Amino acid sequence: MASKSSVKELILDPVFNNNPIALQILGICSALAVTTKLSTSLTMSIAVLAVTACSSAAVALIRDRIPSSIRIIVQMTIIASFVILVDQILKAFAFQLSKELSVFVGLIITNCIVMGRAEGFAMKNTASDSFWDGVGNGLGYSLILMVVGFFRELFGSGTLFGITVLPKKEIIDGVSQGWYEPNGLLLLSPSAFFIIGIFIWVLRTWKPDQVEEA
Amino acid sequence: MQPNKDSLSNTLIVATVLCLVCALVVSAAAVVLKPYQSKNAQLDRIKNILGVTGFTQEDIKAAGGVEPLFAERFDVQIVDLRSGKEAAEQCKVAVEKARDRSIGDIHSEYDQLWASKTPPAKGLSVELAKKEDPCGIKKREIYSQVFVLKNKAGEVERYVFPVRGNGLWSLMQGYLAVEPDFQTVAGLTFYQQGETPGLGGEVENKQWKKKWLKKQIYDAQGDVALKVIKGDQTKNPNGVDALSGATITSNGVSSMLDFWMGKNGFGPYIQLKKSGSLDKSNDQASTFGGSHGQ
Repeated sequence: MASKSSVKELILDPVFNNNPIALQILGICSALAVTTKLSTSLTMSIAVLAVTACSSAAVALIRDRIPSSIRIIVQMTIIASFVILVDQILKAFAFQLSKELSVFVGLIITNCIVMGRAEGFAMKNTASDSFWDGVGNGLGYSLILMVVGFFRELFGSGTLFGITVLPKKEIIDGVSQGWYEPNGLLLLSPSAFFIIGIFIWVLRTWKPDQVEEA
Repeated sequence: MQPNKDSLSNTLIVATVLCLVCALVVSAAAVVLKPYQSKNAQLDRIKNILGVTGFTQEDIKAAGGVEPLFAERFDVQIVDLRSGKEAAEQCKVAVEKARDRSIGDIHSEYDQLWASKTPPAKGLSVELAKKEDPCGIKKREIYSQVFVLKNKAGEVERYVFPVRGNGLWSLMQGYLAVEPDFQTVAGLTFYQQGETPGLGGEVENKQWKKKWLKKQIYDAQGDVALKVIKGDQTKNPNGVDALSGATITSNGVSSMLDFWMGKNGFGPYIQLKKSGSLDKSNDQASTFGGSHGQ
């Protein structure tokens, strides 16, 4: 089916029409864990995007040779290798961020989006299509992460990418400064559920065909 | 399409080739990126030493970076933990022998975690008896680094000791900063730990780390009295409130301090320093040296 679709469709379709988090509700665990700050959200997004795109392409490249009896393990091995690669690169060039992301980079292996695309798309399509499909799904994931990260960091800490936007109300050397009272709830995991929920609501109001039959 | 892709032989071939290729890619990446990673880890340790002695981001910026600031304010000593004496030369000789190559500056190149893992015959580590090993590290290095913070006038402001011990899941590695009286804690930090995030992982929590400030290490008999105990410890000079939901991690931190501040850790070094500085009052110098681990 997808062999006819253009690169543009492959990339944009998973962002709005078939978003892995908002429609398929996949991979939300990491979306809760790493989104207290935009910098970690962005790093995680790039990491997932790279892993989904590369592993889908790699799986598609050898799909005609993969025996069906061990196909899941083969996909897992390829995904795991890319995740280790990304983890190693982060440790080498973005040490502070990799420390903040801690185990969650390693846990990309268990992110259902990656596995879902490898099994559901890459096994039936060409390598380049699979690559762009991976990029698209990575972007769909990134979109949610960035939206959630934006609201959590802005209202939870009053900053964006660590730069103060809403000056925090605090007393420094006896002088009270700022006016914003940070909302601590937004730094806790449940807030990510609320934001994802609101996002899904907005998205389905805009595209009513995504609403499931009750 | 391969008609026989599901055959046994093809399955085996695909599995083998895939594993080989993946192993090759992963190990190549590990080897190529290793120098960058160790450099980062090294910088991170220095950052932790600066953090535990109260330097801020602004101080680091003003000094032109982490390394210049560290080089300017800190002396790195290598001490023989058995005698407490400085022993950089002996350490260098032993490390060169064990690594079978010459090394540059032992003060910056010495990796004491590696040293603790070498066989005792190499002269870099000692086996610990079960009784002497409350934090479960099994072997302890003979030579350890001590970081000494000096002010502009050359007076010692802080001693920073590397400490480590097992928590629930992981080896926790950190630094304990102590005031020059070897009695008052100036800070505790962990740069490497794999405890449960949110529970034991809270050893890195800023609020918890603050609770260590001004706590007293030794009791009147000279034994290590500093402990992690459940409940509010603001009035207890030797106690720090335990982390909730992380009893084993908390106990691990207790045993770690008990070990490293005791006679098998930096005890001899501290004793030597105290007896060496004559300007210290007598009662302080004589309080240390009792038996440990009762």
